[in-house]
Amino acid sequence: MKALLALTVLALLVAAPARADCYADYKAKREGGALQLHYGVAQIPQGACGSGAEAARALAPRLARDGWVLLNIMSIFGPEGLDARKASAGRYFLRY
Amino acid sequence: MRGRPVQDDISSATEQLRQSNRVLLVGIAAIVAILAVTAALLFANLPDANAFNTRVERIFVDNDALIAPAEIRLLEVLAQSGTAFSEVLASYRMIIFVLLAFSTALLIAALVFLVVILGLNRRMGTIQRQGIEVVSLVISRAENAVALNDFSFKLTPAAIETLSVLAEARMDGEVLSGAQIEAVISGRDPADCDEAAGATRIKRLRDALGNQLVSELLVRNIARKGYVLSVEKAAIRML
Repeated sequence: MKALLALTVLALLVAAPARADCYADYKAKREGGALQLHYGVAQIPQGACGSGAEAARALAPRLARDGWVLLNIMSIFGPEGLDARKASAGRYFLRY
Repeated sequence: MRGRPVQDDISSATEQLRQSNRVLLVGIAAIVAILAVTAALLFANLPDANAFNTRVERIFVDNDALIAPAEIRLLEVLAQSGTAFSEVLASYRMIIFVLLAFSTALLIAALVFLVVILGLNRRMGTIQRQGIEVVSLVISRAENAVALNDFSFKLTPAAIETLSVLAEARMDGEVLSGAQIEAVISGRDPADCDEAAGATRIKRLRDALGNQLVSELLVRNIARKGYVLSVEKAAIRML
């Protein structure tokens, strides 16, 4: 009985990431001399998919490594929305 | 009581000087304060480079349609041109600041000149009211002459003696009675001298000097033509 429960939990943990990948599109800026702006798409960890604020908390440190400041999260979507945004994101498609 | 009017004059003159100095200091402080406030407001109100960047950033955040790379590049160019304009503004600000400093100097100079002119006017008025103001009195015993300002008058040796005694007494700040004047000139003890003798000496001095003063300053004698009053026509009024 106990083994069965452990197995179920393990199955759930393994299955979770595969179940639905989660992405967000965002706007960011970089200052230092001239103002630089970009629109990008990034993958968000499973736990941060609930709201824009959670996604922003997850994404901001990754952007900050290159000096970018996150301005806002526009939307959170699944893999089905990637194609529509690929052209607009350009170089920043899934870069961070 | 002796010398009181002169004392009053001196103290009122220093009072005026102090007052005009205070006016000068307050005026300069006011000018500097006003222009400093102007400069501060100027520096505070001119937009800096970040104002343009902030505006462009807000446009980027507010419009979800502006996400294509070309449009984003356009926004960046917009922000750069704003930054260039703000550099121009900074140079303007420097020019305005220099002009402000220049106008401060000019205003202070104008104020100083104004105070000087006011002081001179007041002095001129006093001189005009007083008629003749003696700024120099030179007694020349050898020539029996006395020079008042630029006017030179010939006097008798006795009158010069009296004037010298009075001048020495004035320099010591003393007031002499008729008997004392007579005593100094004749070399006797003041107790033995007559008050009337000194008074006569003063009267002779007044007559001699007064005559010449009036003839020089008031009733002019033009050689072989006659006499004329040396007063401006406009200054004469009959009541």
